Amino acid sequence: MGDQGIDERTQRAAFDRYVVPEIEVLYRVARSITRNPTDAEDLVQDTMLRAFRGIGGFDGRHPRAWLLTIMRNAQINRVRRKRPELLRDPDATMERLADEDSGDLGPEGQVIERGYEAAVEAAVDALPEKFRTVIELVDIQALSYQEAAEIIDVPTGTVMSRLHRARTRIRKHLEDSGAYVNGRPT
Amino acid sequence: MITRRWYRRSGKEASCREVGQVLQSYLDGEVETEFTAKIEAHLEKCRDCGLERDTYQQIKSSLARQAPQVDSEAIDRLREFGEQLTSE
Repeated sequence: MGDQGIDERTQRAAFDRYVVPEIEVLYRVARSITRNPTDAEDLVQDTMLRAFRGIGGFDGRHPRAWLLTIMRNAQINRVRRKRPELLRDPDATMERLADEDSGDLGPEGQVIERGYEAAVEAAVDALPEKFRTVIELVDIQALSYQEAAEIIDVPTGTVMSRLHRARTRIRKHLEDSGAYVNGRPT
Repeated sequence: MITRRWYRRSGKEASCREVGQVLQSYLDGEVETEFTAKIEAHLEKCRDCGLERDTYQQIKSSLARQAPQVDSEAIDRLREFGEQLTSE
């Protein structure tokens, strides 16, 4: 399928084979990226449309990685439309959004009362966006390092190091909040 | 998948430091399967590393439970969208 000018029947068959089985994963990832169900659905539609148009150039290998790359580019374009001042530095788009959107840590006393699960959730919310994103993609959405690397456009080693640092922060947060002592949740 | 030189040392057991370097990747299933036995052998014998594994496994398990319920109606709408694309 190296030819963009494939016939419609082949194009439809390739879409059904490579794209349709990934719709649910795409939606889950889109939810993580956009944090909004409506935006997530729009982003997946945009991704599907781009995939349909470009499927003639897809070699059939690693469809999920290919789709995640399309989704990443679609998302960058959507952010650009909303935030045109970011246009001059597209590579930093995700990073900038990350730094602007760090969650606030709630009162630690509440965390203790709500238990371990809530403490972990609060610890994730308190992470800087670039760390929170890898946690969401790998630990919550169960993507591989390679798939997460595709969507955030960084090397696999960067995903790994961010993930490790993020979990170390979560662990420290849990210890500091008293939700966890000596390797065991309280 | 990550590989590290120490995996290849035949017969030599992994140290705590070496296991610590790859523990999270091991829990993520990102260590080549031929080397996992060496890691698991160490985790069986070393209490400290075993506790470390339990700690991160608990965090990972908790995170996995946070996956939001997928909106099945949204998935249905997206499938319909796909059908429309291929039927036009």
